[in-house]
Amino acid sequence: MLELLPLLLFAVVCVFLLLGYPVALTLAGVSLLFAGLGVAFDWIHPGLLNALPNRLYGIIDNYTLIAVPLFVFMGVTLERTKISEDLLSSMGALFGGMRGGLGLAVVVVGTLLAASTGIVGATVVTMGLLSLPAMMRLNYDKGLATGVICASGTLGQLIPPSIVLVLLGDVLGSAYTQAQATAGIWPPKAVSVGDLFIGALLPGLVLVFLYMVWVMLVAWRKPQAAPAMAKEERARYKANPWKLLRILLLPLVLILAVLGSILFGIATPTEAAGVGALGALLLAAFGKKLSLKVLQEIGESTLKTSSMVFLILIGASLFSLVFRAYDGDALMHAIFDQLPGGVFGAMLLVMVMMFLLGFIIDFIEIIFVVVPIVAPVLLAMGLDPIWLGVMIAINLQTSFLTPPFGFALFYLRGVAPPTIKTSDMYRGVVPFIAIQMLMIALLACFPEMATALPQWVYGT
Amino acid sequence: MKPLFSRVSGGLIRGIDTFTDWTGKLVAWAALAMVLGMSAVVILRYVFAESSIALQELATYFHALLFLAGAAFTLKANEHVRVDILHQRFSAKTRASIEAFGFLFFLLPVCVFLIVVAWDYVAMSWKVREASREAGGLPGVYLLKSLLLVMPVLLIAQGLSEALKATRKLLGIDASEASHA
Repeated sequence: MLELLPLLLFAVVCVFLLLGYPVALTLAGVSLLFAGLGVAFDWIHPGLLNALPNRLYGIIDNYTLIAVPLFVFMGVTLERTKISEDLLSSMGALFGGMRGGLGLAVVVVGTLLAASTGIVGATVVTMGLLSLPAMMRLNYDKGLATGVICASGTLGQLIPPSIVLVLLGDVLGSAYTQAQATAGIWPPKAVSVGDLFIGALLPGLVLVFLYMVWVMLVAWRKPQAAPAMAKEERARYKANPWKLLRILLLPLVLILAVLGSILFGIATPTEAAGVGALGALLLAAFGKKLSLKVLQEIGESTLKTSSMVFLILIGASLFSLVFRAYDGDALMHAIFDQLPGGVFGAMLLVMVMMFLLGFIIDFIEIIFVVVPIVAPVLLAMGLDPIWLGVMIAINLQTSFLTPPFGFALFYLRGVAPPTIKTSDMYRGVVPFIAIQMLMIALLACFPEMATALPQWVYGT
Repeated sequence: MKPLFSRVSGGLIRGIDTFTDWTGKLVAWAALAMVLGMSAVVILRYVFAESSIALQELATYFHALLFLAGAAFTLKANEHVRVDILHQRFSAKTRASIEAFGFLFFLLPVCVFLIVVAWDYVAMSWKVREASREAGGLPGVYLLKSLLLVMPVLLIAQGLSEALKATRKLLGIDASEASHA
């Protein structure tokens, strides 16, 4: 009975999370309660908790994780330059003349923003405010219009540089070391955030391609669902080619510099994030968007996001200490060993579990709480860490789309006019969720999509 | 009883909130400092072929300051993620009760535990004035580690303020408008 306590810990955490008190503190509080019970009844060794300060210092001293606030800073600053507004109107002018053009423009802009700002909420809101009314004026199908905005807005989770990949890379890095140590492999191979960035690039682009194919398919089969812009409407977007070039060029240079320096191994993701943030500041300064007040707001915004992420990491550290103290690792190994279907069965179970958890909890909790529990076992079964990371990232990205609690849906609901019913939005994201599933299946069949590029870059 | 509690809690809330606001707004500048520091590291390395351990560690210091000293400010701004499936359907009274419950049974014990468990760890570091193990590193590791105590102390203060606000709503001192919507 005692050996099932780790599962009970997890279940009790989930129940109390539903109360809606901040996740990080609930997670830590319930773990602490279990630790107290364990010490009182002599189930666990009290000395185990003394490892906590050192663990927490490990978070402070973690060079990779510094990339999180730096990328957040870069994204928030780029937001301030009105890059998304500029991109949307110029892309609308470029694609608007063709059937389904506005939908394609949304996908392209979503991709560009994913590679630069990477902020799902801001991207969905901006596109909802600018593209949605434009598509409604053209009489776009409401489902298609809202679905394409939500899906394109979540690309920031997958396309590097993404916070999801930074956090996953860090967690998988230690899980991989742990798995190899258990298996007695020495010296262990390493997996880094940079590896995940490179690995996610191709699957991310394939996903973008699939979105575009879907939009074009709808435009072709049901022309009335995604009509082209009339001449007069296009004129409203008309920008002169120089302006278009300028709007596109600067952010593109920044994206290429950040991704390129990581891709070619010139800089670590942390360094690239620092330079990217500086670049964003310079862009904002050139656009005369910078003032002391704006800098203060950018700082506060960065502070709140990083504090939120890292407090969960602190809570999760306490959780994992207690989970280990109760021999949760051994339990996970035992459970996975008894699963029918071997590695495939285990992977399928984990993916389905994460997908379902994604309905209620955030990607950050899944990365910090669930991944450290399951990843060492999966990796010990011989799975490739980069492939595993990208699979998880696509899965987590999907959770932003799944009704009723998908974040992208919330953000869009907040800015969509009342003429668009919530049911339209739910209907709209269904095909895109299907595309996500298709992508996961494709990547499961062709792992090379994620693993080939890193191998080529590192020449191993 | 009620008027006394009302006055005392009102004063405490104002005092703590002002303090948290002030620290948050100050600490927010650590983000910019990190960006500049990290950029300087990169420029030094790739343009001048020099590596600066001190500068790199400085980025770590600012990072730690940002997320540890900023945790209370984030709590005040209600930006710590919640699972809001049920939360958004609860009445304002229920939410206020959860806030008070959460402070008493989650935030307070966790933060007190963090202080207790980290105390010796930090004290040890102070005793030897622990410095970086890297050549050319910064001498202030004991200050960095002290942030492990600063965070729970600030969090307890702001948590108390939030719990008092919730209690006032429950007692009907403040109109129970849904401030955490």
